[in-house]
Amino acid sequence: MTTLTTDNLIIDIPGRAPGSPLNLEVRPGQVWGVLGPNGVGKTTLLHTLAGLRAAHGGRVLLDNHALASLKRKAVSQQLGLVFQDRQDGFPATVLETALIGRHPWLSAWQMETGDDVATAERALHALDVGHLRDRLVSTLSGGERQRVAIATLMTQAPDIWLLDEPSNHLDLHHQVAVMRLLAGQAASGRSVFMCLHDLNLAARWCDHLLLLYPSGEACWGPAQQMLVPSALERLYNQTLVTVEADGAPVFVPVRS
Amino acid sequence: MPVSDIFRPLAMLALAGLAAMLVSVSVGSADLGVGETLSVLAGGGSELHRTLILDLRLPRSFSAFATGGLLAVAGALMQVLLRNPLADPYVLGLSGGAAVGALLAMLTGAAGFLISGSAFAGAVLATLLVFGLAHGSGSWTPSRLLLTGVVVAAGWGALITLILAMSPASRLPGMLYWLMGDLSHAGHPWPGLAVLVLVCLLVFPLGRSLNVLARGSLQAAALGVSVRSLEWLIYLVASLLTATAVTLAGAVGFVGLVVPHMLRLALGNDQRLILPASALAGGTLLVLADTLARVVIAPEQLPVGVITALIGVPTFLFLLYRSR
Amino acid sequence: MTTRAFRVWGTMAMVLALTASVSAADLCATDALERDVCLSEPARRVVSLSPGATELLFSAGAGNSVVAVSAWSDFPPQAAALPQVGDANRLDLEAIVSLAPDLVVAWTDGNSRAQLDRLADLGVPVFWLAPRTFGDIARSVESLGRLTGYTTIADREAQAFRSGIEALEARYRDVPGLRVFYQVWDQPLMTINAEELISKAIALCGGTNVFADLPRLVPRISVETVLAADPEVIVTAGRGDPGHDWLASWKAYPALAAVASGNLYRVSPSLLQRPTFRMLEGARELCAILERARARL
Repeated sequence: MTTLTTDNLIIDIPGRAPGSPLNLEVRPGQVWGVLGPNGVGKTTLLHTLAGLRAAHGGRVLLDNHALASLKRKAVSQQLGLVFQDRQDGFPATVLETALIGRHPWLSAWQMETGDDVATAERALHALDVGHLRDRLVSTLSGGERQRVAIATLMTQAPDIWLLDEPSNHLDLHHQVAVMRLLAGQAASGRSVFMCLHDLNLAARWCDHLLLLYPSGEACWGPAQQMLVPSALERLYNQTLVTVEADGAPVFVPVRS
Repeated sequence: MPVSDIFRPLAMLALAGLAAMLVSVSVGSADLGVGETLSVLAGGGSELHRTLILDLRLPRSFSAFATGGLLAVAGALMQVLLRNPLADPYVLGLSGGAAVGALLAMLTGAAGFLISGSAFAGAVLATLLVFGLAHGSGSWTPSRLLLTGVVVAAGWGALITLILAMSPASRLPGMLYWLMGDLSHAGHPWPGLAVLVLVCLLVFPLGRSLNVLARGSLQAAALGVSVRSLEWLIYLVASLLTATAVTLAGAVGFVGLVVPHMLRLALGNDQRLILPASALAGGTLLVLADTLARVVIAPEQLPVGVITALIGVPTFLFLLYRSR
Repeated sequence: MTTRAFRVWGTMAMVLALTASVSAADLCATDALERDVCLSEPARRVVSLSPGATELLFSAGAGNSVVAVSAWSDFPPQAAALPQVGDANRLDLEAIVSLAPDLVVAWTDGNSRAQLDRLADLGVPVFWLAPRTFGDIARSVESLGRLTGYTTIADREAQAFRSGIEALEARYRDVPGLRVFYQVWDQPLMTINAEELISKAIALCGGTNVFADLPRLVPRISVETVLAADPEVIVTAGRGDPGHDWLASWKAYPALAAVASGNLYRVSPSLLQRPTFRMLEGARELCAILERARARL
């Protein structure tokens, strides 16, 4: 299993001063949440970690190999990403969409085998979209599409899962199901690194947190150390009330 | 996708193509009938019939097939490149460059090889121009490429009008037929067919990467595709295909747009199937269109581009109307 | 004094009225649009809007009255030196008006009716030509002669043209028929139907245009249509481009009667392409060629 580390990484956000350097170490078994207000660069960070965007400074390393020096195909076998925005200019079925997750594992001349289809179908069932396998993705609801996208990542089966707002569009039940699935993947030795806008989902499911401040500052560490109400209030510029429920802290914004 | 799912539709399309070729060689202003045609193909028949079929109709049918196939594959590739199912091989101004080359050659009184050579040179120039301009100093995106291509195409259009306006009346018919797309002087079909077959073989292993690219360049990169080099490659290949087709038959319209689009509706969007299917269906369509062009007002001839446009425009509008 | 003055003025007015009526009768002609165009005095500033019209004006003897021509007016050679007012289908109206012409000669197969109606609205007389037969050519020259005051020359030239045509007609009336394919252009392959003057010249020489019955004046055909029609002679003018062999591609079909007998000919490109008096010379050349072809069959 692969460890993702960053070496003095400074992400590149056009029109903004470079923020403080990040030295993260995302180890197998960990679930990381990235928190911060809108426009702070959460998506940019994910794209930089996946090697899809050049950094302003520093490096991203996969098991001590600079990501920039690896072939895209090798990277995509170790690291996968669920995007927040998806393009579907062309019609495609749910199964076809999930199957593209096998792309990194097949050579140019290979066709997808029955095993690949079985892997994709397992992933679709795990995300409760197996019954939609022959539907066109363009006809699905936002939440269903989100689950198909996660199923595609599951079919890709990399060691490191990067997810951009995986709970978007999901109803309460599926939010919990997806978080449980991600936690299960981490428990089996993968690492999960996701941006979340829901503070309480992060508090509930992440063992590590990265807080990105609009000022460019950042702090990270184990969740219980990071979930300090004053720090979170400064993060969102919002007064919070903390209550305890089901063994975890719950942060509620103050009404006035 | 199981292999049989790919080969069954391709086999059916190949049969349709053969049938279309047979029809196209047996009808014409001198009507021979299928029986006589088969006997000529088997080595018999009168001298005149042998000349009609073997020297005139057969090479022309092959040229039509090659042109249609080249354009349809080029269209399918352009659609993936621009992530736009409504793109066609000419959308980036390649046919305009080829037309300017061909018309300039005709204006100076050149004929035959000089016209096709000049058309090819114009197409290559147009390709490189859009390539260079879209690259520019900033980043390279499908929308930037599309915008550059459309504006450059408008520029070529203006040049074409200028050349037409300056040409003596006696040269206009030849120029207009070239612009509409016409197969009567296609020359040897073999280079076109060879390019078509080679490209299909070359592109097949790229098929799955193209499928991934169709989901967007970020998604493709995240799945291990080296997007930049793949995009350059398909742009160059699509340009080569289009340039070859335009050199054979002038700017035949709509085949490159409608054929891949319709095949996607019928067969899904797996490029490993769509690309060879486009080659076969595009070839078949143009063989039939050219047969119509030859016989509709026989013995007079229409340019094949008129037929493809007459078929293509309503089909395209229908697809557009249905596609919300 | 006053009486005398009256008489003088009166006589002058009478004389003027008389001349006016006499010349008005002489200076009218019916054009191709079936309109009577009348001038008060012979046109001295004529603008020709097509190469054919230019040629006919010069044939009528009015060459010195032509002040401007359209592009491609290359015959007779002195016409090429005249100022130009644009291409036949893209005329420069301003240039025409500023030349203050007293007659504009237009061609129905090239000039724009709408554009020239504007010219007519400005008071410029427009005379339309559309010669479709040998007789039309002669009549056109006679009309132009009348409008420009060169009646004698024009009538003489027209008569010479008519008798030249009649002589050919008489000479080739009873010769054996001959299937002729006239190739206007090779890419795209185009020919002519019976309405075209060249086809009439072929008939004059005792030949039969194999595509006489097609509906369009200049139809576009295919090679196989030509092979099926199996002409005994193939003739082309080639319209310039001396470097281009307009007939070579036919040699690939040795079974074709014209190829088997070696009857592939090129006529002078300038003689047959316009319905003018040069057609007579062109028809003579064509008849001689067909006579040679007949001998080789």
